[in-house]
Amino acid sequence: MEVHGMSACAGVFAVSCTREPSTRACTLQRESQLNKFLADVERRALRIAEIAVRDRDEALDLVQDAMIKLVKNYAGRPGAEWMPLFYRILQNGIRDWHRRQKVRNRVMVWFGRGGSGDDEYDLVAHAPDPAGRTPDEELQTDEAMRRLETAIQALPARQREAFMLRTFEGLDVAGTAVAMGCSDGSVKTHYSRAIHTLRDKLGEHWV
Amino acid sequence: MNDPNEKKAKKLFDDSVDRLDAATLSRLNQGRHAALDVLQGSQPVGLWTRWVPATGVAAAALVTVIVMRGPDAVDLPTASVTDFEILLEGESLEMLEDLEFYSWLEASDLEPNGNVG
Repeated sequence: MEVHGMSACAGVFAVSCTREPSTRACTLQRESQLNKFLADVERRALRIAEIAVRDRDEALDLVQDAMIKLVKNYAGRPGAEWMPLFYRILQNGIRDWHRRQKVRNRVMVWFGRGGSGDDEYDLVAHAPDPAGRTPDEELQTDEAMRRLETAIQALPARQREAFMLRTFEGLDVAGTAVAMGCSDGSVKTHYSRAIHTLRDKLGEHWV
Repeated sequence: MNDPNEKKAKKLFDDSVDRLDAATLSRLNQGRHAALDVLQGSQPVGLWTRWVPATGVAAAALVTVIVMRGPDAVDLPTASVTDFEILLEGESLEMLEDLEFYSWLEASDLEPNGNVG
């Protein structure tokens, strides 16, 4: 996996032990840095995966899979590269998941048990609101997020990826390009189209 | 991100992240520590190991399906061998376990008194 355009986010997590990877101190330092990185990114990654596959359990598996692959294959890379690499692994996982779902549905249809696609899915956790909002305010926020999620889920896959990585994760164009495995120009095109599509679907005031 | 709508969307997203329930956060935490175990040279528990027993079941289910469908099944209209390969290359083997169950169900339907085999 080639990484381009990393200068914008260089130096976030400098890994200083690349020359002595076998020493215990270096391993512990790297583990600590990875733990900090993953703890910081995991919840947003989960929600992004959950919006993409519409299933929390599947999203949890995808995120764990991405964590394992990042640690296994890229622990020795400079920490500044971890974010786009992690999301590249995750996006690949999501694409594979969708591909397998299509095949699975085809096989089940052939077998006479077509997947209905009517997965039960609870978008809203029924926990007390940590922000201390009233139930009405909470309901309005939930409804707004539900409308937004529905509109995002209806986007073409590449537009959805570009929108979520740029807007929700805050990756810059170069980082998003690494995560999506495409050029900076493609990211800009997908992102711009996503914004226009969402504007068309949700009106001038999205939320 | 200058568009106010994008800012609102980001805020809604962050809010949904902050409201993840404790059980989900716990599973994320477990998944992270399982991933970090790779650095210590141990195999992550959970995601991979649970598919090991399923592989045998999947293979058996596949054979069952082929035997039950008979020679006519070779000319599959939509589900090809490639489809099975795609399924098997990933971790999605639950469906093949389902197929074994459906095979059994169909076999039991063939018997008027419900006896199987």
